[in-house]
Amino acid sequence: MNSDEPLIALDSVSKRYGSKEIIHDISFDVKRGEIVGFLGPNGAGKTTTMKMISGFTAATSGTVKVAGFDMAQDNLEGARRLGYLPEHPPLYEVLDVTSYLKFVAKVKQIPNHKMRSEIDRAISSCQLEAVTTREIFKLSKGYRQRVGLAQALIGDPDVLLLDEPTAGLDPGQIQETREVIRSFSENHAVLLSTHILPEVTLICKRIAIINQGRVLAVDSPAALQAASEQTSNVSADVSGSIDDIKREIESIDGVNNTRAIPVSGQSQHYKIECQVEARDDIEADIAKAVTGAGNLHSLVRQQPSLENVFLKYVSESKSNSEVDK
Amino acid sequence: MNGVLAIFQKEIANYFRSPIAYFIVAVFLLGTGYFFIYNVFLSGSATMDTTLQNMGILLLTVAPAITMRLFSAEYNGRTIELLMTLPLRKWEIVIGKYLGAVFVFLVMTLTTCINLIPLILYGNPDALSIVSGYVGFVLLGLACIAIGQFFSALTENQIVAALVTWPVLLGFWFVGQFKAFQQTAFLRSLSDYLSFNGHYGDFLRGLIRSEGVVFYLSVAAIALILNTVYLQGKR
Repeated sequence: MNSDEPLIALDSVSKRYGSKEIIHDISFDVKRGEIVGFLGPNGAGKTTTMKMISGFTAATSGTVKVAGFDMAQDNLEGARRLGYLPEHPPLYEVLDVTSYLKFVAKVKQIPNHKMRSEIDRAISSCQLEAVTTREIFKLSKGYRQRVGLAQALIGDPDVLLLDEPTAGLDPGQIQETREVIRSFSENHAVLLSTHILPEVTLICKRIAIINQGRVLAVDSPAALQAASEQTSNVSADVSGSIDDIKREIESIDGVNNTRAIPVSGQSQHYKIECQVEARDDIEADIAKAVTGAGNLHSLVRQQPSLENVFLKYVSESKSNSEVDK
Repeated sequence: MNGVLAIFQKEIANYFRSPIAYFIVAVFLLGTGYFFIYNVFLSGSATMDTTLQNMGILLLTVAPAITMRLFSAEYNGRTIELLMTLPLRKWEIVIGKYLGAVFVFLVMTLTTCINLIPLILYGNPDALSIVSGYVGFVLLGLACIAIGQFFSALTENQIVAALVTWPVLLGFWFVGQFKAFQQTAFLRSLSDYLSFNGHYGDFLRGLIRSEGVVFYLSVAAIALILNTVYLQGKR
């Protein structure tokens, strides 16, 4: 296949259970070398979409392709190139960790002479060395999650599908798991679902926001932030004659709603908040204006956080669907 | 074929790393031992046929216990998602699991051969009828396990899987009894043909008839094919 061709491609995919449509006409793709975050509230359709990409359930309409193979037909070929960690790690409780990984490696047709090194690689990248001979039912939640991830890494698949990979891990493990995913992404395509916002900003190149079975936006975190709000807030700590300062700031083009809040306990100290238009040098203009009339102690421009971006999209889609009704 | 082997090994590990296989073998051995002592020592005849007949009925109860977990446990533990998304054909999953359950059944069958020791030491049994009886027993088991595995694929509840399999197996066993109530010759011969017990009786009398062999293997094949088709349609 062409190297530019996306490794995961969804083309107007819908899923219906009975008369209820769970997924409405979604399209997006993931290319080699990319980590795409699949972001949405619980029940948005993330897991259903993951299941369709994995070939576990079939789409009602539209096509799902993994590494160029239609998962409705060639899903054996697609499955060979896929590592999948479902929402609940699929573990055989009575097996020990090594036997479990060996089972997966055998099914993925890892040749015998590579078996040992392949299993060791998965074990070390998921930090499972301490529990290799332990039966899975004896493991803690964090270890279980990582055994599930190790299983997905076996055979170095082109495509990695991870449904909430950091759920149930402690902060240290979350960091390590993110490192594993990041290091894996270099030559592979990774689709990662989560409802944890910082996770996607930290490791994802692009984000697909999904709610109520619809993809609302697909773009880089920065582009989503820029697009979601035309204005941002600036706050500054100043001292001096507040009326002069305020007047100077208000005279700048693109600054609105200036408010001055006295800082308690310090006379002549104020915190100024204002809304500014998204223009690159606006902070410099404000700084100049303040220093002309008083003293500037600090100046912060607050970008809309991804959280706000997300809430904006999700609440917009909610109000749209209410209008539909 | 690699897939079949991997699934088979996993099933064996699942059976023997948990108490299930040991428990099933122990219960079956205990039951068979009781029938053997009752039939041989109390009646004083050195034959296995009555014991094998009782073993057949006991198998109808034990087979669902072997098969009930095959798919139900995969659904319940959500491991089905792994099985269905790994590069495995559906028939490889079905055959691998079937062979795993058959292996447990064969181990169970083999342990009952301990009863042959006193029989040979203190009596003069007819070796041929014992061999044909065991052949019949194994064929009966192959059919029962395939049926049980199919019903296990239909539910995520192991108990339900066993409780549905059991009356179906009993039905196949006793269907021959309905022969007397049938008006038409076709229904009479059908109920005769479908009877597990009827074909089994031939084997116990020392007859290995191709009709019986084909019958049991066909029942097993049909159940396994239905199982595969069901899995393919499940997506």
